[in-house]
Formats: sequence, C-alpha cells, structure tokens
Amino acid sequence: MSDITTLNGGSCIAFKGKNCVAIACDLRLGNQALTVACNRDKVFKITDKTYLGMTGLASDVDTLRSAFRYRLNMYRMKEEREIEPETFAHLVSSTLYEKRFGPYFIEPIIAGLNSNNEPFIAAADLIGCLNFAKDFVVTGTASDKLFGMAEGLWEPDLGPEELFESISQALLGALERDALSGWGAIVRVITPDKVIERTLQSRQD
Amino acid sequence: MECSFGITGKGYTIIASDSNAARSIVKMKTDEDKQKVLSDHLVMTYSGESGDTLQFSEYIERNLRLYGIRNHVELRPRAAASWIRAQIADSLRTRNAYQVNLLLGGFDLPTSEPALYWVDYLGTLATVPFAAHGYGAFFALSTLDRYHRPDMSLEEGLDLLRRCINELKTRFIVDLGTFKVRVVDREGVREVKL
Amino acid sequence: MLGLQPGSSTVVPTSAPVGHRFEPYDSNGGSIAAVCGKDFCIIASDTRQSTGYSIQTRYKPKVFRLNDKATLATNGFAADAEAMVSRIRQRLEWYRHSHGRSMPLHAIARMISTILYGKRFFPYYVYNILGGLDEEGKGAVYSFDPVGSYEREFCRAAGAAQSLIQPFLDNQIMFKNQHSTPEHTVPKPGEMSLPDVLKIVMDSFTSATERHIEVGDGLEMFVVRTPPSAQGEAIGAASVDLKAMGGVEAVGGEDEQEEGAVMVIRRELKKD
Repeated sequence: MSDITTLNGGSCIAFKGKNCVAIACDLRLGNQALTVACNRDKVFKITDKTYLGMTGLASDVDTLRSAFRYRLNMYRMKEEREIEPETFAHLVSSTLYEKRFGPYFIEPIIAGLNSNNEPFIAAADLIGCLNFAKDFVVTGTASDKLFGMAEGLWEPDLGPEELFESISQALLGALERDALSGWGAIVRVITPDKVIERTLQSRQD
Repeated sequence: MECSFGITGKGYTIIASDSNAARSIVKMKTDEDKQKVLSDHLVMTYSGESGDTLQFSEYIERNLRLYGIRNHVELRPRAAASWIRAQIADSLRTRNAYQVNLLLGGFDLPTSEPALYWVDYLGTLATVPFAAHGYGAFFALSTLDRYHRPDMSLEEGLDLLRRCINELKTRFIVDLGTFKVRVVDREGVREVKL
Repeated sequence: MLGLQPGSSTVVPTSAPVGHRFEPYDSNGGSIAAVCGKDFCIIASDTRQSTGYSIQTRYKPKVFRLNDKATLATNGFAADAEAMVSRIRQRLEWYRHSHGRSMPLHAIARMISTILYGKRFFPYYVYNILGGLDEEGKGAVYSFDPVGSYEREFCRAAGAAQSLIQPFLDNQIMFKNQHSTPEHTVPKPGEMSLPDVLKIVMDSFTSATERHIEVGDGLEMFVVRTPPSAQGEAIGAASVDLKAMGGVEAVGGEDEQEEGAVMVIRRELKKD
C-alpha cells in the first residue's frame, strides 16, 4: 500500500544465450489496482545491440529514459563510436548513484551483445549496485515469480529460437501469478545480425 | 470527487470534465471550466489540489503560448505532453510539488492522428485511446474497454461519453452536474453541448 | 535510597514498569508442494527449519504420513503444525475404532477444514497441503489456508518459496501457456508419469533452494500409490521401482501399513 516502487506495477527479465541475449517485459501500466494502460513497453533501445529495461515508478522510468538519451548522445559525440553494453551498465550505475540519498525508484536490467558479439546481461538496484549475472536477471513486481521460473527453465547455450521460447514461458508463467503485471508482453532476442521482436498475447486479468 | 474523461476516435479527440468547484462538502460553483485550450489543436483538463491546478495550468498555458510566439509554430501534442510531464516530474522532487492530474487531448496535423495523454501528479505519462481521472475512472473504464473502437465517428464517440457520464449519474453517490465537453479535430478546438 | 533527597519534596521515580507481551506465533520458513497423477500423488517438502536468519535445524520433517492413502504437508509455524497433526491423527484413530476402516481422503480434507475453522479466532498458523489417493484410487491434492478454506487441485505449492514454485508448476504440471502443435500434443494436467513428476518436483526445490534463503538442506518426497502387492501385476505408478531411486517405507500413521503404499525418497539440497 502506497509503496511507490510497486504503484505502477510491471516486470522485466533478461536471459543470456549462445551468441545471443533476450530481454522481455510486460505491458501493463497501473495505478495500484487500477489498470490505466496496456501498451507500456518497459524496454528501450540503447544501441543496435544493447537494450535497457526499467521497472518501478513509471514517472522515473520516463525521466531516466531521457537522462540516458542525453548521456548517450554526449558519449557518441565525444567518442565517435557506439557504447559497449558493459560501459553502458556502468553509466546506468553512476547515474543512479548520483541520487544516492534521494533515489529514482526504478530497477534496471541491461541486455546486449558487445562489439565482439559476446552476450552481456546485468541488473542493478535503485541506487546502482550492479549485478553481472552469467545466466539471467529479473526485476519488477513479479521478480520472485520470475526467479522461480527462470531458475527452472534457463539452461546454458540456448540458440535464439530456444532462448525466445524459454524466456517467453518464464515471463508468461510469472505474469499469471502477479496481479500488478501482465496485459501482454514484448520479447526481444538480440543476435549478431538482427533483433527479433515479438509481441505476446497473455491473459487480460 | 473531480472527474474527467478523454476519448479518441476517427480524426478527433473528445475531452470532458465536470464543472463543480467544491470546498470540503460545499459546492461553491457549478459552472467552473476546468480545461485550458493550450493551442489550436491541444486542450488540457486539470484536476487536483485547488491552488496548484490553476497555478500550474496557467504556467503551462503561458509557456506554450510563449513557445508559439517565439517559434511561429505550436508544439505538437506529443512534444507538449513530454514537456508538461517533465514540469510535473521536476516539481515532484521539490518541497511543494504540484498536485495536478491532467488529460491532454489533441490532434496532430502532420500525421492527421488524434492524440490523448494521461498524466498524473507523479509525472506518469501514458499514451492511451481513452482515459479517465478521478473516481470516474473506476466507473467508466470498463464501459470504455467494452465499447471503444479507434474508428468511431464523432457521434459514436459522444454517445460513448454519454454512456460513461450516465453510469456516474446512476451509480456514483455524488452528483457531478453537467460536463464541459470540447472536441479537437483538424478544424481545431470547439466546445460541444452533450 | 527511595529517590527522596533530604530537604526535597519531589519524588524521583527509580524504576518504571516493564511490559512484556507474549508473541504466540513464529514463522519457521521452508516450503512444501504436492502434485498428483492418475494413480499416485507426490507430497514434498524441504527439511530446513528456521526463524529469521537463524537455522534451528537442518532436518525437521514437515510432511506426515496419515495412513496408506493420505499424507499431509504442513508449513508456517512448526509448533502449531505439530499440535495440529497430533489432533488430526487422534481423530483418525477414533474414526478407525468406530468405523473399522481408515478415513477416506475427501473426509480427511473436510475434517481438517473444520478443525482449522474451529480455531478461526486463534488460528493454527499453518498452510496445509493434503495429498493421497481418493476413493477411486485416483491421485488427489487438497490445499488449505490457515482458517480452513480448501480446494481440490492437481498441484499446489505453499510456504516461503510458494511464489517461486507455483508458477513453475503452473507451467510444467498444468501446461499453462503451452499449446499443442501438429508435431507435439500437450498432455492434459494430471496425466504425467510418476518418474516425470518426481523430476519436476526435484527441479522445483533445487530452484527454490538456489534463490530462497529459507529453503534448503534436504528434500523429502512422499509417494502415495496403490501398493504393488495389491495388484496382480504391477501397472502404472505401482510398477515404478522406487527402491531403486532410494525410496524407503514411510513410517507413522494410525493404520497397519501395506508395503509400498507410502514411500519416501530423500535427497540432499544445498545447505548455504
């Protein structure tokens, strides 16, 4: 009740695969128990091969999205190259830690392929403590359910299509047991030559 | 007890808000216009803490006017919504944040698309086909879910709005009185009687 | 010294009353789950008992054999669970004395419900899952809340890691979000074989152990089935050689046990 981290609801998950990564989120935006919109994508494109997912207070998600856009544009102009996912993870971390004593109420996850096309995933807490996981990361109001699903479904060295199937099952399974997440989902599988984006239908309750 | 609605349809956006001004349990006024016409193709409804609403909506109104004068072009609905959201989000982390909830209804000329944005006092911005603020949301959203179509004609859209208001009349304990309704389309903003 | 100074008229209190409040409940962590098949039921739990961040013991069974066809898993406050199980066992014994047979599963379920509701205003802080075979010999799972609301299901998880295990069971046992294709037909819930269900239960608990601090140490899986000896030739779940998987006869309960009716398989879980 009146906890601003769970006010809007929503969940994100990322899986590492073999030469690919997947990142997925639900589409609900709520105000406590009331669903306001069901088109709220929580995953944002950072570069062609790096994506950022943010859950928590929707207002801060929007604020940080523009903050990151500014910082990324500055990075591109200074460095004249695209940012690496790992570098971006540190950018996210330091941006969040700047507000250590009055934080943004979001928890981000990052998924991408670096310039050598090696998969990379990371997560952080609301003040930017990074977690470089080698299997999967989860965030949002269904995070405990996502942990249970992912721990059971994830396996190493999955190809793009298998990775899509297992991350989708993990997300949909968790969404059905979380009242604050759901109303559809979007899954993105990042491979060296393309990003496969699919919208999933899910229960509307 | 304040309540506002927004509905998009084929080539238009309808914006409606109740016209009560209340202090505690007392109705002070029944013909209050809780909307601001921000530009030729953009209207905003506002509700929330009474001092904040007027202060904030006038601040928004004058700044968007200033932008129009300086640049000889009005902000498009999406851009205006983003800027307004940023103003609320910035104020949120100050000592006295603006407690205002907004609906922004517009018509984007370059794409010929209607636009509707739901904004709350936290700075949450949602792009939606239909929206409601206040207790009205609990009564009307299910009706809107059931009957709304993106290709509705204006008359169908107004009928849907009537259904929502009728729901409040029958089931909501407070009498919200008459609603102020404005329509935004290619021709601009105009007030309509229900 | 009574706090009175010579020449002073003010009374300085030297002691204040100390209030003590009795806390009748604790939460002892751990998790339980049950899954039923056509002719069997698996009731499982981890064996860790904890309070806060302290582990009280690494082996405290939470699943109790009631008779040849019923096994009860308990989770929540261990002391309440223990008291409740002995009350249930006593009632089952009385039933046998007056009726000359074991109480059937559906009756046990209703009895547990009334026992729990009987303490509606000072509840047993226990989540229960009752698993076994119904009167037709089909696998059955009944799940309860602490005040006796209950339901028959195909599978159920409860306890500290309910939120981790239940969605996994929804997916793997109820086949939620899985759809049949021309090449692959998705089976109906409750039709999986005993060895397959055992694997899923073990995976559920290893996963929960990995991500939940209150779950771990050991795993006990009780298997309830029509005993192999009762059939001419062993078919279905009865034909599975549980002894080869390390299964042993489960003890406890008020009846004379039939060999192989209720067996328990124990596995180690991570202890960190």
